[in-house]
Amino acid sequence: MSTAARKRLIRDFKRLQQDPPEGVNASPQAENIMTWNAIIFGPDETIWDGGVFKLSMEFSEDYPNKAPVVKFRTQLFHPNIYADGAICLDILQNQWSPIYDVSAILTSIQSLLSDPNPNSPANSEAARLYNEDRKEYNRRVKAMVEASWADDGEDEDAEEEEEA
Amino acid sequence: MTFEVRIKKWHAVASWTWNAGDDVCGICRMPFDGCPPDGKYPGDDSPVVWGICTHAFHLQCINRWLQSQTEQKCPFCRRQWEFKQAVVGGEDESEDGAGT
Ligand SMILES: [Zn+2]
Ligand SMILES: [Zn+2]
Repeated sequence: MSTAARKRLIRDFKRLQQDPPEGVNASPQAENIMTWNAIIFGPDETIWDGGVFKLSMEFSEDYPNKAPVVKFRTQLFHPNIYADGAICLDILQNQWSPIYDVSAILTSIQSLLSDPNPNSPANSEAARLYNEDRKEYNRRVKAMVEASWADDGEDEDAEEEEEA
Repeated sequence: MTFEVRIKKWHAVASWTWNAGDDVCGICRMPFDGCPPDGKYPGDDSPVVWGICTHAFHLQCINRWLQSQTEQKCPFCRRQWEFKQAVVGGEDESEDGAGT
């Protein structure tokens, strides 16, 4: 059955293919259009440059009247990203609007990477270093960007990572 | 929460030229002259409505958004959403009395 949410997601996907935004990509899972996999590349000419970050997006039947649940599946060191990958971003919470689509969500998250909001910290250590020791903050981010290359291709092995 | 919108009034609106800046509904991304997601027939079944902020949506689409929210805000500009009165042939709103 094709619901309003599913129809909108098909249009989102078409728009992503016809008019792909720079540095982000996403597609629904083959068997379930309500769950998407996405990739965000670190913005050029920032300390995030070269990073490859994977995300998952879970849509409900209330989309686009309700924001999807978006999580990073790559480990990230960032003031507004929780340890479990959840993202603290206003447009995914109280500033959501039904005019946003997958492209808009991903480009907003991409710009959050290089432009964090230290007033709503989700990772207090990252927020503290961002405010007080930018040099160390940059070093930690760059190390994580490098680690994101190695992460490529083994995203399903989350359990193993936890044991290590 | 209910909205008193008399659909009859909006038939005249359909003959306007679109001045919403885009001829696609921002919520469902379907063209205004096509069906919104739940509409079966183009035209009569999918009226287009304007807010006083001049932003336009399918009636079904904006209603579903407003019903899901406690605050009634335009999805585009976040101003308080109020349905604009349909004025046949007019360009400016000629509100009957009650100001804001
Ligand atoms: Zn619509
Ligand atoms: Zn508006």
